[in-house]
Amino acid sequence: MTTILAKSRVLDLANERGQLCAQVLADLGADVIKIEPPGGSRARKLGPFYNDEQSPESSLFFWAYNRDKRGVTLDIEREEARELLKRLIKSADFFIESEQPGYLAERGLGYDQLSKLNPRLIYISITPFGQNGPKMSYADADLVILAAGGPLALTGDDDRPPVRLGAVPQAYLHASMDAAVAAMAANHERVRSGLGQHIDVSAQQSVAMAAQSYILSPALNSAEVTRYAGGVKLGPFCIPLVWPAKDGYISLAVLFGSALGPFTRRLMEYICERGFCDQATRDKDWIGYVELLFSGTETIEEWTRVTEVVRNFTRSHTKAELLKLALERGFLIAPVWTVKEVVESPQLAARNYFQEVEHPEHGRSFRYPGPFVKFGATPIEYRRRPPRVGEHNREVYRTELGLNETEVAELERRGVI
Amino acid sequence: MANELALSDVKILDFMWVMAGPAATRILADYGATVLRIESPTRVDVARTLHPHHDNQSAPDSSGLFSNCNAGKLGLSLDLGNPAAREVVHDLVRWAEVVTESFSPKAMRRWGFDYESLKKVKPDIIMLSTCLFGQTGPLSSIAGFGSMAAAISGFHNLTGWQDRAPCGLFGAYTDYVSPRYTALAILAAVQHRRQTGEGQYIDQSQAEAATHFLGPAILDFSANGRIQERMENADLQYAPHGVYRAQGDDRWVAIVCKTDDEWRALCSLMKRNDLVNNARFVTAAGRLQHRDELDGAVGEWTAVLAPEEAERLLQSRGIAAHQVQNAIECYHDPQLLHRGHFVDVEHPTYGKTTVEGPRAVLSRTPAKVMRHAPMLGEHNEHILKDILGYDDEKVATLAASGVLG
Repeated sequence: MTTILAKSRVLDLANERGQLCAQVLADLGADVIKIEPPGGSRARKLGPFYNDEQSPESSLFFWAYNRDKRGVTLDIEREEARELLKRLIKSADFFIESEQPGYLAERGLGYDQLSKLNPRLIYISITPFGQNGPKMSYADADLVILAAGGPLALTGDDDRPPVRLGAVPQAYLHASMDAAVAAMAANHERVRSGLGQHIDVSAQQSVAMAAQSYILSPALNSAEVTRYAGGVKLGPFCIPLVWPAKDGYISLAVLFGSALGPFTRRLMEYICERGFCDQATRDKDWIGYVELLFSGTETIEEWTRVTEVVRNFTRSHTKAELLKLALERGFLIAPVWTVKEVVESPQLAARNYFQEVEHPEHGRSFRYPGPFVKFGATPIEYRRRPPRVGEHNREVYRTELGLNETEVAELERRGVI
Repeated sequence: MANELALSDVKILDFMWVMAGPAATRILADYGATVLRIESPTRVDVARTLHPHHDNQSAPDSSGLFSNCNAGKLGLSLDLGNPAAREVVHDLVRWAEVVTESFSPKAMRRWGFDYESLKKVKPDIIMLSTCLFGQTGPLSSIAGFGSMAAAISGFHNLTGWQDRAPCGLFGAYTDYVSPRYTALAILAAVQHRRQTGEGQYIDQSQAEAATHFLGPAILDFSANGRIQERMENADLQYAPHGVYRAQGDDRWVAIVCKTDDEWRALCSLMKRNDLVNNARFVTAAGRLQHRDELDGAVGEWTAVLAPEEAERLLQSRGIAAHQVQNAIECYHDPQLLHRGHFVDVEHPTYGKTTVEGPRAVLSRTPAKVMRHAPMLGEHNEHILKDILGYDDEKVATLAASGVLG
């Protein structure tokens, strides 16, 4: 099993913005202590919920990103709570937070303050817009960050408003992963220098890097790309990437140029062979096709007719038939699957991807997404379900900080923990 | 002495191409790793053909996407199918700590560069393979792009309008998710090797990594049996939660009220006391139930405002809002500019080119974009002579064999 970070302690103060960062460090074997306010993290108020029961113990949004962490409560608005946190900081290797910039520094818990207690500390801040700049204090939400960073403008149908990226908030997942990679780089460096540092991640920048480099178009004086249902709109013409099948939809790349044109050529040969188009359509210059369109040699109307040919072909086959063609002939086709089809995927089953995680209080296990990679020598193993609110208060405050039962009970009574 | 970059002692031999793989090693190059990239002189890297291009003209080094994925790396052109490549690859494996590749499964085996073979050359080598669906399983042989993995992983079906076909996420979405996991896996394996002396093989399915970005939807099915569908711009918790038309051509503003207080502040801003006092809208549950009505009212208010003005007004009241920025607006966004998001690097063909900056600010060992993405074979001489110590005669023999292109 993975013991890569087995000697590392992570204090995870992140709210709903930064949960994934500590989870992947836990996957690498770290001992993660999640620190929530009394009553539980704001993330526990976010759905969906198990059995639709809106309780802090039933948030599937919380479950998804807090596996393999221990959980304690601590009210950092109170001085004595902050003293407890500082005692934990002394033996910590990583500290993860996602408060608005300045919030923790005002409470004596900023990087400068905590690094004095522990110069080895890697202090990770995951925020909407980063630690500085004119928008550093902006109010945020997933949709708003996607708007600020570029992907939202590119997603959706061209005759309707831009539309959110799926049904699960995405921005802070990108940011949390960028933070985790930076944390591991800093951890690597710490072996040489013995010193920690501050890592500052902006979710706006992280999502900017989730739009295929189109953000660089103005800098390069290149054509602007705009949204087009299930594809891209490049200058005057539309390239679909989602196509209808007999029983749903598929992703199919009909693209051009020296690398991708040959795929389109092979597809058109097959489409012609099956009687969906004539030989003249088949024999177009698929490698130089973009240039033909931009120069006007090929009209937009003709391209529209070609897409109709392809559409007639895809729509007369099922998703499974088209997937089989992809496997047999190397076409760039994949079915658009529902969540159910994903969970029941034979591919993921063959690789034993999904992991059952026991939740004893519910008397059952739940199927979680499996290890993010398959390590040959250090496989990731899931160790425990996400913590209940304050589940490890005694374990941590007594064992780690040496408080006695009376002291812990007193802290609880006064709402410090 | 200035602090050395965090990964200044990490050496990566990178066979990856197109987007997902190279984006991962780009991250590590920014943090100081030496990334030596092998590029085929005969089969063009697809990324070089992808938009955006300098002046909208496709040329070998015009792609901003290719630059963005490969800045800071060294480039060696090498025809892996040529028998003369074998010795060079083996010498580079001895030099490297990590080998990465992103071909479809079998390609490396065909050339004799699979993990079992390379392990014989260097027993403690780390090797990572990344492809759409992983090295095993019935779909493993499917070649293709992140747009396909996004479709088959469930992202596409969840994005768009309920009365229409799914519009899917933009472009090759899993190619933006999986590189982050790739980079993490490499650093984890490097740490393990430094601790134990043990290398290993890592099998990454880009679809499997990306499935974590749908975690709550997966759990909703496994716990509740619910199959989530397209939500348009609605949310499970918040209303208003939407993208509203603003003044101008295709201009929009995204607005989210996360609390009842924010909703009341929005009503006051819109001068709609009638809505504050409307019992149906007092709680989030009520607002979610009547979201069409709310969206109508908010949209009416934004329609006569410039999007940046709506953003300013809303943010001044603490309501999450931002104009929906296209590439041009991002390029001029004061926040992205303040953060140094766009980095100019010198380029032999274009004078300068622009890439996105590093993904995090490290206070003591700041990341850095060292150089432009390599042109095909740009560093052949440096790599063969300075890194591998080949003499002039040996380099000439290699060149004559055609293996360098």
